[in-house]
Amino acid sequence: MPTLTIDGVAYPAEPQKNLLQVSLSHGLDLPYFCWHPALGSVGACRQCAVRQYRDENDSRGQIVMACMVPATPGTRIAIEDEEARLFRKSVIEWLMTNHPHDCPVCDEGGECHLQDMTVMTGHCTRRHRFPKRTFTNQYLGPFINHEMNRCIQCYRCVRFYRDYAGGRDLDAFASRNHVYFGRSEDGALENEFSGNLIEVCPTGVFTDRTLKNHYTRKWDLQSAPSICPHCSLGCNTLVGARYGGVRRVLNRYHHHINGYFLCDRGRFAYEFANLPIRLRHPVLPRPAAAKDGAGRPPTAAEAIAAIRTRLRRSRGLIGIGSPRASLESNYALRRLVGPDRYFSGLPQGESRLIAVALDILRDSPARSPSLREIAEADAVLVLGEDLTQTAPRMALAVRQSILQAPAARVAALNFPGWMAHAFQNAVQDDRGPLFIASVDATRLDDAATAVLHAPPADLARFGFAVAHAIDPEAPPVPDLDPETADLANRAAEALLAADRPLVLSGTSLHHEALLGAAANCGWALCRRGRPAGLGLVVPEANTFGAGLLGGRPLREAYELVESHQADTAVILENDLYRRSHGTDVDRFFDRLETTIVLDAVQTATTARADILLPAAPASESQGTFISQEGRAQRFFPVLPPTDPVAESWRWLGHLHPDEARALRSQEAMLIAIAAEFPFLAGAREAAPSATFRLNGAAVPRSSRRFSGRTAIHAHLSVHEPKPPEDSEAPLTFSMEGTTTAPPAALVTHYWAPGWNSVQALNKFQDEVGGPNRGGDPGIRLIEPRNVPRAYHNAIPPAFNSREGLCTLVPLHHSFGSEELSRLAPAIAKRTPPAAFSLSPADARERGLGEGDTLSIRIYGRPVRLPVRIHPQLPRGCVGFPAGWPDLAGIHLPTEGHFE
Amino acid sequence: MAKVIPRKPLTLAERTYLPQVLGGLKTTFKRMVSPNVTLEYPEERPVIPEGYRGVPTLVKDPDGREKCVSCQLCEFVCPPKAIKIFPGEIPEDAPTAHVEKAPRDFQIDMLRCIYCGLCQEVCPEEAIFLQEIFSVTGYTRSELVYNKQKLYELGGTLPDRHFKWEKKRQAAERGHQH
Amino acid sequence: MLSPAEQAALDAELPHYPARRALCIEALKIVQHHRGWISDEALRDVALALGMTPHEVDSVATFYNLLYRRPVGRHVLHLCDSVSCWVMGCDGICDHFRNRLGISFGETTPDGRFTLLPIPCLGDCDHAPSLMAGNRIHGNLTPEKLDRLLDELD
Repeated sequence: MPTLTIDGVAYPAEPQKNLLQVSLSHGLDLPYFCWHPALGSVGACRQCAVRQYRDENDSRGQIVMACMVPATPGTRIAIEDEEARLFRKSVIEWLMTNHPHDCPVCDEGGECHLQDMTVMTGHCTRRHRFPKRTFTNQYLGPFINHEMNRCIQCYRCVRFYRDYAGGRDLDAFASRNHVYFGRSEDGALENEFSGNLIEVCPTGVFTDRTLKNHYTRKWDLQSAPSICPHCSLGCNTLVGARYGGVRRVLNRYHHHINGYFLCDRGRFAYEFANLPIRLRHPVLPRPAAAKDGAGRPPTAAEAIAAIRTRLRRSRGLIGIGSPRASLESNYALRRLVGPDRYFSGLPQGESRLIAVALDILRDSPARSPSLREIAEADAVLVLGEDLTQTAPRMALAVRQSILQAPAARVAALNFPGWMAHAFQNAVQDDRGPLFIASVDATRLDDAATAVLHAPPADLARFGFAVAHAIDPEAPPVPDLDPETADLANRAAEALLAADRPLVLSGTSLHHEALLGAAANCGWALCRRGRPAGLGLVVPEANTFGAGLLGGRPLREAYELVESHQADTAVILENDLYRRSHGTDVDRFFDRLETTIVLDAVQTATTARADILLPAAPASESQGTFISQEGRAQRFFPVLPPTDPVAESWRWLGHLHPDEARALRSQEAMLIAIAAEFPFLAGAREAAPSATFRLNGAAVPRSSRRFSGRTAIHAHLSVHEPKPPEDSEAPLTFSMEGTTTAPPAALVTHYWAPGWNSVQALNKFQDEVGGPNRGGDPGIRLIEPRNVPRAYHNAIPPAFNSREGLCTLVPLHHSFGSEELSRLAPAIAKRTPPAAFSLSPADARERGLGEGDTLSIRIYGRPVRLPVRIHPQLPRGCVGFPAGWPDLAGIHLPTEGHFE
Repeated sequence: MAKVIPRKPLTLAERTYLPQVLGGLKTTFKRMVSPNVTLEYPEERPVIPEGYRGVPTLVKDPDGREKCVSCQLCEFVCPPKAIKIFPGEIPEDAPTAHVEKAPRDFQIDMLRCIYCGLCQEVCPEEAIFLQEIFSVTGYTRSELVYNKQKLYELGGTLPDRHFKWEKKRQAAERGHQH
Repeated sequence: MLSPAEQAALDAELPHYPARRALCIEALKIVQHHRGWISDEALRDVALALGMTPHEVDSVATFYNLLYRRPVGRHVLHLCDSVSCWVMGCDGICDHFRNRLGISFGETTPDGRFTLLPIPCLGDCDHAPSLMAGNRIHGNLTPEKLDRLLDELD
């Protein structure tokens, strides 16, 4: 085996990697700043200096930057060389000439890469006697706090923000000793991934602004592995909490999904769980509550007793599930009410869309791709989905995919791809094929080879045309205009020529034909022998999980109640006013004898409840989500359940009238699910079970340095309380537990001796930038199957705008369209006001300008909103803000009448 | 096997007990005329030597600025985990805004405190001092969880010998944009 | 909006560059030539003309010390304060500026005639201390020589 030598020890050579990455992967401590596994090497900070020798006879060698030297066979380096060590120490000393001495007030203190590296190099005395250079800071919006004086000019921020995430409003300014990272003028950072600057910045220049509202040091955070509940991608997160509230969300590395980066929605939406609209106690109808007197809120036992009484009296019970509730909760509801009285909680149209999407993915020769596979695709077709708004992290992955084809082209130049500047120079403006067909302009358009902006029906026709161009056996599209046909041919050509072609679509436009078109494209590629990927974005975190349990659509629930076959409904974490038209929902509630609602926050639906049970939000509960990839992933509570708040599945288990059939633990729930739905059996393996122990101990949620544990309740009692026990998870609510690194599904914080910052993640990977040690969490339930599939052939007719009518299209927004995240104060600050979006042609015809009020009759009811003109929007389409409460309950496709 | 050691017989002088009685009386009379060493506590208070480690307190600088910036190092280092800090931001329009942070509340459980002085030693701001108070009393246990106000009352004012924050303010005035 | 003259100058440069973006420095020089300095508005105009964001253009504009992001006088005098010139007494020249015009580094005379800026090395070390006015370098500076130079510049 070809080897290289580090400090006299032989290691296997890995010529495609650099010496820094290899050294870190072998557990050696070599300081660095500008290098990042996802961003490559630029050799700017001069911190990873080592001495390299030509051969075994060379005793002088020379100082080189480890991040810039490939780990080729025969390489000999010394990290522990005296001069190299002095070099690294001087670099820190020189960085420190301007770094302020303000660690005590710095939010990064205690998890600062610069602190770690300073200690690692041994620099401790300042010799520079002159004043430090100082800057004024900028307001960068509600997410990020800016403190430029702390900057060490590693350039990681602009390299992430501009080169990786495609942002264009953060840059490096000035030169020499005055390099400044910020915006040209104050203002919120526009990119949807700005939050990653917090983790990318090795020191405290960019810090979490939301954390400042309830600041807690890293060592004092109690953390638990969680899954982001704010879209369908299932990004892994680390939720931190203290004093009974969630404090912040950090990225939890998953090699195949989110990698090193999260989107801002996922990172800053956590605050909704701390708001006063959180439900903390059951609410019972007045007569029952009056018995207690004294205004004491009812206890869990009282609520359960009251509900059981109601259930006994009931002349028909139905259950309405939710795609934002966990698999376990939906199943518990289904078990309580019976399969034929369990409703998915989705309106007819959406219910059908999800069923179609599942049908396409479950028996598909095309693989449902992970985000990593999306980033590695070398030709991408996005059909009808504005990814940045509906599944932001996927958009970031797509943005990486356009560099795959150029990377293959410059491979002949024979330099490693991690040499970031060399790569940029070689690639220049060369980009791989990315075709985007969407209704309106998307934030990915700048990266696209070609874009098509057309009404949903025409997008589907385009998709079908691409499929036909790939495989002539796929149904042809009649009367296609030559321009679209030409674009379809170009897209088909690019996909066919690619090694890893990929088709992405989704349900956000509520247009079934789009899914069919995307499926045809994927299958056509497979038939032509291409290893195609086919990814479908769905609306919510557990849309697929709930969909796989097969509930009936919401309309049938309304009919059941209307025909007096049911008088009691249990509604699980679902705001029906977001699903159906308000008058329908009002009528439904009016007809019900008893409405039992479980939810974490107050909604329009909880206001109609007779009995309200406080459910724990995802950050405080345990459960399983099934992502759009088809991956079952477990999330764990960061806080012990504060009685009477509990997971929905726990409540529903207690409500079961038959004690023998009632399921009381999550494990039992998953076993029952596996028995009833063999397809979901893998969900049980998504994470180690409650009995899992490492060296005989569970995994602690608190850091070993957790302080004030006994003082935390000092105002209540001076006695030290026993830490709450967690019977469901192999985690403890304390600092006691195993000291070994747990499997990735149970990682509660990234820390290693000498590595206090998030960069400690290096120590949790076998190979830095590679998979988590011991494998990445989650179980893929959907794998490609080589089954013959008949092409979809429901090709819609071309779009025709009709006088006085408009087709309503939902325009999604990363900050505002998702139900829970829009409640978070920081997200709300970035949420644009509700408006109708008009094409310039439509606006001109009606004599409307930006900001004028437009009234559109929807379902016979006028809706008045200000106008925003979207230059790319096709004529005859009016965009409405999807997920805004004032426009909830529109079933698509629907036409509006201009007034 | 046990070894028997024969006891030495007493001498005549010893048998009379007189030398011992006289020796005792000598000490008694000597103490009757020598000065007192005990204190009539609590009427009389001892002189506390410099560096005495009594109750930990928080101090302000002569301008009345809270020196604590709620970095939480003392909370971190405290062996019995007696300290609890709620960090807070200083509002931007406050005269000390350049210090950025001050505790919203700062609690020390005096029943847990072991007067080790690690908090004082670790404090990067010289904001927490173990001062001369040694008697901590109260009627309930919860009274002995001292809050920020109480800690500042006990602590008083100590000079800031570093003027770090003043320097920072001056530097910020020199600061420039890009 | 760029003025017609600025636009024409920019269009003349366009064929020399592979991408519009690459024209950034040239465009800033054109705008500075016409407007004296690069205001925030000028920044936006250039950004619009080149399909860049103002942030990106500002990043370039702030990098070069011959692009002025603040108003300057009719004559910008770049006095070298680097090693050779310092050894040869650029401080004295600087003092002379202060005495005669009442300005030091970074300042403009109240009549808007002169702006004095430091510059690190003009490559004229053999004639230190040295100064650049407009496109000309003046070496072997003495207070007397400086006086003559200032009188020549209106």
